[in-house]
Amino acid sequence: MGTNVPEELLRRTFEIQGRDFENAGERSAEVTTILKDLDVDPNIILRVGVVAFEAEMNVVMYARRATLMFVLTDQEIVVEVADEGPGIPDIELAMQPGYSTASDEMREMGFGYGLGLPNIKKNSDVFSLQSEVGKGTRVYSIIRLMSYG
Amino acid sequence: MDKLTHGFRIDREKCQGCLSCMRVCPTHAIRVKDAKAQYRSDSCIDCGVCLTACSSDAICATTTSVEDLSRFKFKVAVPSPVLFGQFPTGITPAQIVDGLLAFGFDEVWDYSVDINLVTRAIQQYVDQWTGPTPLISISCPVVVRLVQVSYPAMVDQLIPVQPAREIAGREAKRRFSARLGLREDQIAAIYITPCQAKTMSILQPAEGVVSNLDGALGFHEVYNGVLACASLKKGDAIKSSRSPIIRNSGLLRVHVSEGMGRLVQQHRYLRVTGLSNTIQVFNDIEKGKLRNVGFLEAYSCWNGCAGGNLTVANVYVAGATLRSLARTLPEMDAVTEAEVERRFPTEDFSLKAPIRPRPVRGTADNLKERVHMRQLAEDVLATLPGLDCGLCGAPTCRELARDVSMGDASEDDCVFLSKRRLQDLRRVYLRSTA
Repeated sequence: MGTNVPEELLRRTFEIQGRDFENAGERSAEVTTILKDLDVDPNIILRVGVVAFEAEMNVVMYARRATLMFVLTDQEIVVEVADEGPGIPDIELAMQPGYSTASDEMREMGFGYGLGLPNIKKNSDVFSLQSEVGKGTRVYSIIRLMSYG
Repeated sequence: MDKLTHGFRIDREKCQGCLSCMRVCPTHAIRVKDAKAQYRSDSCIDCGVCLTACSSDAICATTTSVEDLSRFKFKVAVPSPVLFGQFPTGITPAQIVDGLLAFGFDEVWDYSVDINLVTRAIQQYVDQWTGPTPLISISCPVVVRLVQVSYPAMVDQLIPVQPAREIAGREAKRRFSARLGLREDQIAAIYITPCQAKTMSILQPAEGVVSNLDGALGFHEVYNGVLACASLKKGDAIKSSRSPIIRNSGLLRVHVSEGMGRLVQQHRYLRVTGLSNTIQVFNDIEKGKLRNVGFLEAYSCWNGCAGGNLTVANVYVAGATLRSLARTLPEMDAVTEAEVERRFPTEDFSLKAPIRPRPVRGTADNLKERVHMRQLAEDVLATLPGLDCGLCGAPTCRELARDVSMGDASEDDCVFLSKRRLQDLRRVYLRSTA
């Protein structure tokens, strides 16, 4: 059990613009709407929602633009956000809860508490983060539809 | 046993198939087939918007009948505080109480103490909460059902503290059974309700348990009786020896404009009224736009419970009456305070069972099949005009597409796609020219 290759059921890609605070959260809302429509377990939706939202907000706050890819298979949900942006010089530091490079302006809007990346990791079953300074960052997260033991 | 999932019935004789109810239903729980409206009861949240929209008087609400009450030995009325704003100026709370007694109740319950207890329990819960915010008050049953049906991921944010009316019902039964030597099931605690939704929350609580209350009568059902009684004995009402029904203004303030905000001051608090406004706020919560709000109180009716669908007075007049009544009362009084201190440590205010999401139309067990059906719906939607005219009997093109994908409707129900549909509609709706 559990060794069969996941069968892809649905795939969507969305474009995210940096600094677009007005539409921030729209893409992750679209993802959760799809999952709600498909009657996926609310707890899974909640986790996917957090992952997609935090990744989307990171793009809006720091990057120029990005693509959010969402894939649903019969076993798991994949969220991948790859941006063109400044990159993260010290990933280990960025993963520490509370560490943030957000401006005062962002903090005033209620963001930039340094919880985004740790929150994505916490809600993922598989998580990876790659970044190249001056080029961009790629956040990759898998959330399993069922927990196996 | 009959499974009662929502509070309304459609009288097919009276229904003209006019589409009004279908168009206004916020959860798209109504379809019109063969010129008759019908409910999808799993999506209905008891908001009563359909009842208000129907011009043919074809929608009836489930209620407790007065005859039902005769099986009880002792009947206690538990009036929503909003009741005291329903009557013309000059009619005092004491007179309203006299009116309820004349109506056939043996006692009238003052629930200032209960509301203070519940507020304290909510405050404790909010203080200790570390999960996602905002926490959401469950005082309005429509809001609870809306979350269960449309925002299932938020059910854990509903505050699992029983509404004050439930605590009032429990205490009233306990108190009078001890005083009168009767069993609790011989005593009826009847809520006097401003809305249909609270009746349903008593007949069928969202958390699937048995309510502490035994039923509900709408304001409109007691109004005339109370008014008649009050006018009859206008002169000697002042002499009424009965202890005051409302000792302080806290109860009223919660229901007028301030909500519970004053009482949970240290948390960022938001009060929303009106169903469409509430839905907008929930959508924003879902998009992560309200992360700094700790506590949300939402009411389906515009301006809160005074705007309920079973009220009699104009909502603005009712609000003004309640506010002026509140001004004549102290914020708190010693009797209430002592009772709150005495009861709080000895009672459990938590809900008897957790509130769970309500599954809606889960036809296919298999995820792959559901994805397939959703794709089918998207494909159908692409062929529809996108005008949401409703002539197919579904409220929007998207809903028709979904119905088609589930096998509940056909693309030929669209007047743009099928000439026959238009002819059928002419036959049904233009009876005189047919």
